[in-house]
Amino acid sequence: MLSEKSLAKIARERAKYPANQARSALLAALRITQEEQGYLSDAVMEYVADLLGIPAIQVYEAATFYSMYDLKPVGRHKLCVCGSVSCFLNGSDAVLQHLSERLGVDPGETTADGLFTLQEVECLGACKDAPMLQVGDHYYENLTPESLDALLAKLRGGSDDVR
Amino acid sequence: MPNIEIDGQAIEVAPGTTIMEAAESMGIYIPFFCYHPKLSVAANCRMCLVDVEKAPKPLPACATPVADGMKIATASRKAKMAQQGVLEFLLINHPLDCPICDQGGECPLQDITMGFANPHSHYTEEKRVVEDKDIGPLIATEMTRCIQCTRCVRFGQEIGGIMELGATGRGEHMAIGTYVAKAVRSELSGNMIDLCPVGALTSKPFRYKARSWELKHTPGLCPHCSTGCNTDVQSLGREVLRVLPRTNEAVNEEWICDKGRYAYTGLQAEDRVTQPLLRVDGEWREVSWAEALEAALSGLEQVIARHGAGRLAGLISAQSSNEELLLFQALLRGLGSPHVDHRLRQQDFRADAAMPTYPALNMALEDLEREPVVLLCHAFPRQQQPLTNHRLRKSVLQGGKVIAIDSLRRDFNYPVTQLVADAGADLALYKSLCSQLSGHAEKADATPLAHVASDLLAADNPLILIGSALLYHPQAAAMIAQIETLAELAGGRVGWLAQEANSAGAWLSGCVPHRLPGGHTAHAAGLPADALWDADMRGFVLLGTEPGMDAIRGAAALAALQKAEFVLSIAQFAGEAKRYADVILPMAAFAEGSGSFVNNEGRLQSFQAAVKTPGEARPAWKILRVLGDGLKLSGFQFNALSEVTAAWQHAIGEYALDVPPFHAFPALESVPQPMSADGLCRLGDWSIYQGDPLVRRATPLAQPAVAKMHPDQAKVLALRGDSVEISSHSGKVSLPLVLDVRIPMGAVWVPMGYSETAALGATCAPCAVTMATPPAAAARA
Repeated sequence: MLSEKSLAKIARERAKYPANQARSALLAALRITQEEQGYLSDAVMEYVADLLGIPAIQVYEAATFYSMYDLKPVGRHKLCVCGSVSCFLNGSDAVLQHLSERLGVDPGETTADGLFTLQEVECLGACKDAPMLQVGDHYYENLTPESLDALLAKLRGGSDDVR
Repeated sequence: MPNIEIDGQAIEVAPGTTIMEAAESMGIYIPFFCYHPKLSVAANCRMCLVDVEKAPKPLPACATPVADGMKIATASRKAKMAQQGVLEFLLINHPLDCPICDQGGECPLQDITMGFANPHSHYTEEKRVVEDKDIGPLIATEMTRCIQCTRCVRFGQEIGGIMELGATGRGEHMAIGTYVAKAVRSELSGNMIDLCPVGALTSKPFRYKARSWELKHTPGLCPHCSTGCNTDVQSLGREVLRVLPRTNEAVNEEWICDKGRYAYTGLQAEDRVTQPLLRVDGEWREVSWAEALEAALSGLEQVIARHGAGRLAGLISAQSSNEELLLFQALLRGLGSPHVDHRLRQQDFRADAAMPTYPALNMALEDLEREPVVLLCHAFPRQQQPLTNHRLRKSVLQGGKVIAIDSLRRDFNYPVTQLVADAGADLALYKSLCSQLSGHAEKADATPLAHVASDLLAADNPLILIGSALLYHPQAAAMIAQIETLAELAGGRVGWLAQEANSAGAWLSGCVPHRLPGGHTAHAAGLPADALWDADMRGFVLLGTEPGMDAIRGAAALAALQKAEFVLSIAQFAGEAKRYADVILPMAAFAEGSGSFVNNEGRLQSFQAAVKTPGEARPAWKILRVLGDGLKLSGFQFNALSEVTAAWQHAIGEYALDVPPFHAFPALESVPQPMSADGLCRLGDWSIYQGDPLVRRATPLAQPAVAKMHPDQAKVLALRGDSVEISSHSGKVSLPLVLDVRIPMGAVWVPMGYSETAALGATCAPCAVTMATPPAAAARA
């Protein structure tokens, strides 16, 4: 179900913990799995449970607890807009509203072309440059309607800054 | 040792004691929901907050260990405010639907709210609603009532041994469930209902049947396995409405398995007999007791007059009480028949003389949880004795080691080293283990067998437990003899895991053909159960048993019973008996009679009738007494059950709790295994919910019969599709096929205890498996 490369990565994570504490490797295993598969399907979560030798329900518990795990397919780019206090005070609602209008989807939804998923997330630790959002491994800060439009254009243009 | 003070009372407690435990020992009540003495501490309900001097905030009593000089107030203003605050929060999302909730009246949330809550809530917003889940036919869910105490989750993980429920989501969205829709499978799942402090998990079969305060409680005993769990039988009028565990730390602690909890639902089966039945010209007629007894007596007398008492045999269920067992064998032996038995599942009786006085565990159940090394010989207690299994599980969690030898890989709920015999070669496995132990085998250290041998040799006095499945094997006698050798070589001691609730009582009461009450040798030994089917018996007396499903060769049993001139069946259910009996006398079923059982430890326990017998059904001891009286036998003059109990005690005398596991073995001729080269070995056992007439009729527990085979074996045989035909020399059956890697190659597993599999005959016999002809193709042909 997973590539050799991902399996090797998971094995490396697993080896960090004692034999009877496979559960400790779960978060890393889920991250690696999501990187490869895009999201965590029920089937792949069960597969990870078998891989680590833990009950499937413990995988579901962890995956549903952390908002960074996606349980449904997401678009090519996941726009994670911070909605915590500093960003909120600096207009994160307007950011969400703007993106929502431009993309034609509500937070939590994916555009019909499969390019964007819009999400509100908790604090990403970039308060000094609020409001901000995260795409893939990059932070985009001090957001304005103009910078948001520029970002969308860049991403539409085939940026590989995915998820 | 810390000296502390709770509510002004001073106490000295052991270090590490929690405030909750200390308060409990002083009789001071602290309210709680998530705390449970047998589960890990979660401290997530916050109900047990108490005021600790010098602590800035109230502390949870369940998770706070005491410290010297601690001064704790459980009812100070600060503690009360904390408790009221917690309750107000817990009730924010609780639906307060007590009037329609089954938990009402036995609900900690209800009680604690009445006792500790502030009657006013600040909350005016909408309550959250949690979607309901279907987690199977046993547990009803109403998850909006859940307060996320996670007792059910911790039970599955810590006691049940398979974690099926979990808490998914986070914060306000957290919900208890299985996440993906599926039924909970644990054999202990019903205990989660008892643990749930609100009405989120309730009993599905009991749903909306009664309010808890209307129910009558009667101390009962579970009749479904040899653990002898204590139960609280709850009834309304003439109906048993539910069965809950009754705490007995020495036996079942505070748990019971789902078999014991839900088997009562079988009492309402359609074929329950409530009126004596007589076969007249091939038709069944409901008749009066006088007429039925008359027919029973003359039937028995005629068989004896025509063919002699040696052609009459009696078979009794080992779920019968000591009193019934004693009277049953007295009836048969009084009539001059030596053929009395309860071991319908056994096929090899060559070791009868070597068997112990009764199948005794030879230790207390409680001590099982402290055994460092246990070898299970064809025993799968998770299915056969779930709460005995729980003790073994505890020993493994504390570092003990369990090794199992069996015909197939078993699904234990704790780590077990398993040795699986090649198909049908179970005896050979015991022999090779013995030669490893004696050092005669070649040194092959890497084999699992060698590992097991060295584990056993390294252990100080390992415990060897013989399981009931071993007795179903055609070479049981030789295997038992081999286990004696094994025990000697390993320097271990042997205990027996008795099969049924009163197997021990059946042996002690003389319901075996070669032993009299008290274990004395019978002068003229009769035939054991399985030999009766081929012995041209002319008359049978059956009590509480359905040989078509309870006997190892069901089809042969049915044929012999149908051929017999006269069959008297004293039964709770008529379904099978109507196929061969001449007279059916309705007897009391579970919870309808009183009596006593001897459990696996040798513990003598008694139970009380909870409800009246339905219709004209009578307790079996009364039926046997009237029959004995009518046949003018001596020793049947009893007026009350207590007199029979006294007679039993007199006949059995004092029996030891620790009995020699074997007597001297007779010479055992070796019987070649009847395996054909191309045949498969038929494995099989009575699955957990198929073992006796009552549980077979409990519809919420019912599981359909399926055949199981290793996927590679199915490939070899080119089996496709899901339905196969399995044929042995005694007959053939069609079943859905399930692929299961636990079944060894060269074997097919077909369960016993189903009417649809009876035709296949005994276990370990050769058989062939082919694709079943689809009905459509058969019709065209």
